[in-house]
Amino acid sequence: MFGGLGLGQGEFSYPRALTVDRQNRIYVVDKSARIQRFGSDGAFQLGWSMPERLAGKPVGIYAHSDDRVYVPDTHYHRVMVFDADGNELARFGREGNGDGEFQLPTDVAVDDDGFIYVSEYNGNDRVTKWSPEFEFVSAVCAGEVDGKIMRRPAALDIDREGTLWVADACNHRILRFDLNGQFLSSWGEMGGEPGQLRYPYDIDCLDDGTILVCEFGNHRLQWFDNEGKLLRSWGKQGRRKGELWAPWGAAVGNDGRVCIVDSLNARVQILEK
Amino acid sequence: MIGAMISNFEPYPFGLGLLLPLSVDKPMWLWLLLVIPVLAVVSWRVLVAVRPFRRVMAILVRSLVIVVLALCLADVTYVRTTDKLTVFFLMDRSDSVKDLQQVQEEYLTTVSAQIKNKPRDRVGMIDFASNAYLQQLPMQGGYHVPVGRLPEMDHRDRTDVAAAIRLALAMFPHDSAKRIVLMSDGNDNMGNILTEAENAQAAGVQIDVVPLWYEHRNEVYFDKLVAPTRVAEGDVVPLRMLLHAERATTGHVEIYHNGRLVEIPKDASRISLRPGNNPFNVKLPIEGGGPQRFEARFVPDDPERGDSIEENNTATSFSFVAGKSKALLLTMNDEDDLALVEALGKENITVEVRDVSAGNLDLLDLMSYSVVILANVPANTFTSEQQMDIVNYVSNLGGGLIMTGGDDSFGAGGWIGTPLAEVMPVHFEIKHKRVIPRGALAVICHSCEIARGNYWGTEVAKTSLDTISSRDYFGVLTYSWSPGGVNWDVPLQLATDKASIKKRIDQMTIGDMPDFDPTMKMATKGLAATDAAQKHIIIISDGDPSPPAASVIADMKKNKITCSTIGIGFGSHVMEAPLKDIAKKTGGRYYPCRNPKKLPKIFVKESKVVRRSLISEERFSPQVQYAASEMLAGISSGEPLPPLGGMVLTSPKDEAQIALVRLGKDGVADPVLAHWQAGLGRTVAFTSGFWPRWGGAWVSWPKYSKLWSQIVRWSMRQEAPANLDVFTRITGNEGTVVVDAVDKDASALNMLSLPGVIIKPDQKTEQLVFTQTGPGHYEAKFKVDQTGQYIANVAVNEDGVAQGSIQTGVSVPFSPEFRELTTNVALLEKVKDVTGGRWHEDMSQAASHPIFDHDLPPNRAKEPIWEWMLAWILLPLFLLDVAIRRLASWLAFSVVFELVLMVVLLFGVGVIYGPWWGILGVILLVELIGWSMRFKSIGPLIESLTSNVAVLGQAGERSTASIGQLKDVRDRVQDEASGKTKAKPTHQPDVDRGARFDVGDDAAKIDAGDLRESIETGPSTRKDKSQAPKQSPGAAADGDDEDATSRLLRAKRRARRDMDEDKDN
Repeated sequence: MFGGLGLGQGEFSYPRALTVDRQNRIYVVDKSARIQRFGSDGAFQLGWSMPERLAGKPVGIYAHSDDRVYVPDTHYHRVMVFDADGNELARFGREGNGDGEFQLPTDVAVDDDGFIYVSEYNGNDRVTKWSPEFEFVSAVCAGEVDGKIMRRPAALDIDREGTLWVADACNHRILRFDLNGQFLSSWGEMGGEPGQLRYPYDIDCLDDGTILVCEFGNHRLQWFDNEGKLLRSWGKQGRRKGELWAPWGAAVGNDGRVCIVDSLNARVQILEK
Repeated sequence: MIGAMISNFEPYPFGLGLLLPLSVDKPMWLWLLLVIPVLAVVSWRVLVAVRPFRRVMAILVRSLVIVVLALCLADVTYVRTTDKLTVFFLMDRSDSVKDLQQVQEEYLTTVSAQIKNKPRDRVGMIDFASNAYLQQLPMQGGYHVPVGRLPEMDHRDRTDVAAAIRLALAMFPHDSAKRIVLMSDGNDNMGNILTEAENAQAAGVQIDVVPLWYEHRNEVYFDKLVAPTRVAEGDVVPLRMLLHAERATTGHVEIYHNGRLVEIPKDASRISLRPGNNPFNVKLPIEGGGPQRFEARFVPDDPERGDSIEENNTATSFSFVAGKSKALLLTMNDEDDLALVEALGKENITVEVRDVSAGNLDLLDLMSYSVVILANVPANTFTSEQQMDIVNYVSNLGGGLIMTGGDDSFGAGGWIGTPLAEVMPVHFEIKHKRVIPRGALAVICHSCEIARGNYWGTEVAKTSLDTISSRDYFGVLTYSWSPGGVNWDVPLQLATDKASIKKRIDQMTIGDMPDFDPTMKMATKGLAATDAAQKHIIIISDGDPSPPAASVIADMKKNKITCSTIGIGFGSHVMEAPLKDIAKKTGGRYYPCRNPKKLPKIFVKESKVVRRSLISEERFSPQVQYAASEMLAGISSGEPLPPLGGMVLTSPKDEAQIALVRLGKDGVADPVLAHWQAGLGRTVAFTSGFWPRWGGAWVSWPKYSKLWSQIVRWSMRQEAPANLDVFTRITGNEGTVVVDAVDKDASALNMLSLPGVIIKPDQKTEQLVFTQTGPGHYEAKFKVDQTGQYIANVAVNEDGVAQGSIQTGVSVPFSPEFRELTTNVALLEKVKDVTGGRWHEDMSQAASHPIFDHDLPPNRAKEPIWEWMLAWILLPLFLLDVAIRRLASWLAFSVVFELVLMVVLLFGVGVIYGPWWGILGVILLVELIGWSMRFKSIGPLIESLTSNVAVLGQAGERSTASIGQLKDVRDRVQDEASGKTKAKPTHQPDVDRGARFDVGDDAAKIDAGDLRESIETGPSTRKDKSQAPKQSPGAAADGDDEDATSRLLRAKRRARRDMDEDKDN
């Protein structure tokens, strides 16, 4: 566990997203629009700020295996691409509802072929696909899915079999698509009981095929198999160690450790494998 | 509790014990020590039965108890010397150094990096301008706020270094050496910096100075623009200007009169300035009455070379021109009020009509008029500052105020809870019980990304609560962090107890709402369940929660619930589309809001939807209730008045005079025309209106113009007699209002009562206390600490009768910060010298500045330790005292003594917090003492225990025999009861209750005597053991029937006798 409320190095002001790169370094973005990189031991390494922050701050971050760090710059309706040291490599997207445009992008995932997937919401609730050169390809999933209009796809991830998983946060469910946007299955219902979901804000596909879901509304993590069967649950609302308060995200490193951004407690908690 | 004490008390170092430097705050209690000799003598005599060694020990322990008790009562403190250092940096953020903020932050970051190798040192930071704010508590590890991350500073137009020093002195931890590093230009213009420096010196705090250097060599500034306070209409006003120039330069002066540029020929306005002060005079003819504003601006020919600070090139002033009284009518639709204006015109009352939306109304404006009429204007058309101006105009400047009705006035106009409601003669709430349609308002607050988003959320919730009637429903919904997420933070309820609802609002924790759907669903459900006629939802958000489902909107429509949305934020941050969509679909309105300060105003407007219940549109004929009212002169009490088409419901205030009422079917008299005195001014409420729908019949009434002229004239401000001359002047930070009073024969008027008030630029008022300083000459002082207009009102009372009031004022056009042209080195050096601080000239050499050198005298911190002494020394000693006297067993006593000694040394002295070898040493020492005490008694103890085991065995055998006897007795009793045996033989001994505990034979008594003796341990036990068999028979013979207590007493006496024999031997 590391962090704490503040604006200093290693401190957070309402951190809202976290990712772990292939070297198990942890990147955290908070509501001061800073991105901080930590070693796997939680030691602060470096940090940088988003180029603009007045309009709002990012709610997602994704570190790919090529050491690129993708940040959906939510309130500027674009995606920023950095190297691991915070140097800007590219930015793409603009505000709008059309092709190549975003409304409040929330998360990024990259498939094995280098195609980039971006989720967004605010009336534009969909996932769009972009080429490795940051050219718009298509909207892979949008509108009504399995009887409900997607509402706030807050997170996405791609598993080893090339399946796209989407956390449809305000419908309190998990959706599954192929990489062309063909709907495969969904599961989840709103509630606080084991196996139910309340505002799943992050999703992570683990190497063993299980799906880790981070619930903002239930202050906990749940592990499911790919059919939605609950395997394990961890966490409850609280301020103490081992408790969570409005967690926005979780990510699993190569070492199997689960890193959780415990937002309202302004800290990162790490679960050993 | 003990655990808590340990954790709360920072222990003092190991090894010093009672030799620690202690001090006492209440030395009077040390007189208690005189009790010790008395106690020693008394104890010696009382404790005659105790062995001498124990007696001495008891006296010593009791003396110690008295010593510790005296110290506790005397508030003993431990004086600790530490080598910690705390440095507070004071950062000047006033306007005069606004360009040097980043330099200061970088300096702070660099210099505090020196602390890295000094883990015990701490850094704190306070920034200041008019106010001082703590930005970092003293913390280890240096300065933690990144450059550019400090919050915005308010009121930068003054510098109060003294406040910053004062705050630092209060925030220093007590257990370290203290140093202040002052970064400033030294241009303090509010506090008394040297006094605080002396306080710092007295507190042992050194102030180092890092001067902020600047020098404006080519500056020109307006020192003064002087206009006469009062002039007559048509007079020529002489304006006197004083310009200060640092070097010779040229330019021209522009004069503005009431905001309009005065045409002055270019050649006449051109001026050449020489170094120093340059006076100029201009004369302006004045037309019209009321306050006249003047503004003069210096425009240099070459701004690049001639002047660097623009703010100080302007000066303002104003004069009051006595003229004819006139009324100001503020309206939103002047066509509705044409009839009133014409009617007043017929009665020779001048009325100026102004569209209220034109804005720009301030106190000085209002002072041009004798009375102000608010003709059906809602509260939200005024800023809160303007509302306060109107209140000040009435209460403190004696102005008149008339509010006339319509659907945008009184409670229906959102005036409930405003300052204006306080000065009106009617309550805008309905106080009496009556069935009227209710409104219901649900506010949904979303935690926005804007700065202080949650603060604004609670503010607008409170504002909207203020403006609705207590008969309406009110509730607030947020996304909270509790399970389930959505909550009525303020459950939907009647707004009768607004104070407690506000408390709940203050306790709200506004969460980060993912979507509108559940909150809107909950609001709809709650509102639909009420009996309200108007149901409304207001959403404040930046629009980033997901929009609600279509079914929610449909449900709202079905229940006739409207919803307005307010998008708050900056630029593209606000997601307007979903907010607009919600408002459009539900029949509400969307309000973009970039400035959160405007939020309350929007809410006032929006709350109107639920305030419609205060409007009654039943036709009625008003009736005279108070015929003696001056306003109703010429109207008899039984005279029929023309009907009115409606009114806004209000309730009369106790002191108000209610001239006209509407008598309702329910017998309630609703005020139609009410008036009263409000402070120095007068206010009138006419709750109906003149628009055709309500007041059409009144306009054509022959007495209409007469009635209204009487109402307006009654309300008008009373002007003071012309024999008073009043003016205001400012010197430094002090202003003076001067009144010269003469009578009509030009003789000085003495001993006048002049209650006065000054209204400051922030609209706060301050009472003026006039002192007569000469014949007919009075002065009152006030503090000048803001930029803007200071307006004073002086009421004149002669023989206790109000004669009217007179106004004056003065303007402070720019902050004194812009008057400072160079660093005030002398003052900074003085601060440094007073406190023995150092001078750090060059900020670029931050790394080498010896800020964190431990060269201050070691800090001596006092820590109260009486609780500690009470718990860990006094109580154990008390126990020891008891043990000395009560524990006969030497073995037991030695154990208690050992425990007490260990507690006192480990916890009382604090060894437990020392190194391990200290703790081990104490344990060994205590054990050594304990075992040495037990050494002599341990052998006899073993012997005694062994013999006791044998005795117990014999006693067991006798017990078996006794039980046999008891069984016999029982059998006999049972036989008797069953009739198998006859009456008890006379030779059989009686079996009494005591026999159950006595074996009943002499032998048993002898052995029991042995048992009792064996309880006593110590040197005498051996003798008792040998004597016991000899004495016991005799004892038994002496009293077969004596009880056990007597036997014990006898054994005790015998033991004492033996002990005395030991002593004699």
